[in-house]
Amino acid sequence: MAQEERARAERKVKKAAQLLLFRRHHKPGVKGWELKKALGEDYMEIIEILNSILLKLGLEVRMISESEVEVVAGASGGDKHKSKDRDNDRFMVVFKEHLIDKASGLRIDDVAILSATLAYLIAKQGKATRKSVEDFLADKFPRRRVISMLERYILQGYLKEDEEEKTLCIGWRTRVEVDRKTLMDLILAA
Amino acid sequence: MRDRRGVDKKRVEDLLRLISFCKTIQSAETDPFDLDVRHYLAILREYLKRWRSIEDLLLDGEAVSELAKVIERQCKWIKDRSTSFYLDPALIELKLKLMEPAQLASAFFKAWHPVVSLDMLTPERLKEGLEYWNALLPLNERKRGLVESPLSEAGGGTIGFEDLIALRIFSETEFREQLQALQAELEARGRTEYHDFVYVDDFGDSIRRAYLTSYLVSEGSAGLDIEPLEEKIYLYPLPAGAPTQRMPVRMPKSVPIAISYEDWHKWRKKREQEQSGR
Repeated sequence: MAQEERARAERKVKKAAQLLLFRRHHKPGVKGWELKKALGEDYMEIIEILNSILLKLGLEVRMISESEVEVVAGASGGDKHKSKDRDNDRFMVVFKEHLIDKASGLRIDDVAILSATLAYLIAKQGKATRKSVEDFLADKFPRRRVISMLERYILQGYLKEDEEEKTLCIGWRTRVEVDRKTLMDLILAA
Repeated sequence: MRDRRGVDKKRVEDLLRLISFCKTIQSAETDPFDLDVRHYLAILREYLKRWRSIEDLLLDGEAVSELAKVIERQCKWIKDRSTSFYLDPALIELKLKLMEPAQLASAFFKAWHPVVSLDMLTPERLKEGLEYWNALLPLNERKRGLVESPLSEAGGGTIGFEDLIALRIFSETEFREQLQALQAELEARGRTEYHDFVYVDDFGDSIRRAYLTSYLVSEGSAGLDIEPLEEKIYLYPLPAGAPTQRMPVRMPKSVPIAISYEDWHKWRKKREQEQSGR
């Protein structure tokens, strides 16, 4: 009986890994309700087991809601997760440790533009007019390139544009992927 | 009498100036404490006794609402500065200007934890691709269809209502009737996920419904709610009345929504699964 239970749990963990790692929508990751549908009511427990396996590989599961980003806790954090409705949160797998810079195929100039934009926005409490960002970046890069890179980062979710207010702010992807405190500490220390 | 009218005009101007000031503070990144809220509240309290018309009171209400938004901004401002995360924007700007692109990139990489996601072809997806291939007409037949179409004479582009009439897909009466039927259906169903509303068993019918729905939205009979995190679009009926009464005055916005055979196929499969599950 215990063996059956174990086999069932293993199957579910494998299924959870597939759901989380393979892109199914335009945005990576899956919603809590999709996990519930595929794995059952106890999906948070399955995600916690998967997370403990991923941690050994330097990866971890993160949950993003409208207002915050959280890391899936281990067994001790289980009660906290159960008490909160996670159905509308998006679950994603990220690298826990920072990457070596050569691990990315991005051009150094493109990363510098993103890095400077994020630092600029963070210093302005997360929001600034698009024009002020463009003017700031145009000091070091050609304006045409700045505009095309900003468009790309908006599409990728690192930045978010409010077309009515003509402002830029931090996007969902920055909230998930970028440790903003570390970024600012490193910039200040440079 | 003339004096009183002049005083009233001045008060209205004061209020309009205050509203404009509040809006500037909200849109630009100026210090929200530039506005002395206590002083303006005292002015509003004094003016309140003198307002006579409903327009004056509405203006007063708008001014209070804008002041409340400034107070909210002041609250956020204090919160931001009281956290350890607060950094002087001028200092950061200077630092960023002095740094080399390589240094900036290096800082980003040390703070970056990219999302892991993979794209992979599954046998199921290959099967869907094959089905699509089998249903697809040869290119020359599709091209012939385009050449014969009156649209090609107009140089292609978007399909308008007149084009559909020219193509004999719709007559004007039929179009209005179908539009009304769809509106009645939306009113009966209430707020619905867009694709659940537009997609039906037949793909051709789904396209027709999507086209008609775009008219409902453009004419102000239906509204769209976009939930970016949920990746869902909701459609809801708007009450009858003049279009200007139904819709808030906002910048016109166009929302492209993709309708594809693949997406429709997925939706139908999901629905079949749900029905067999029941």
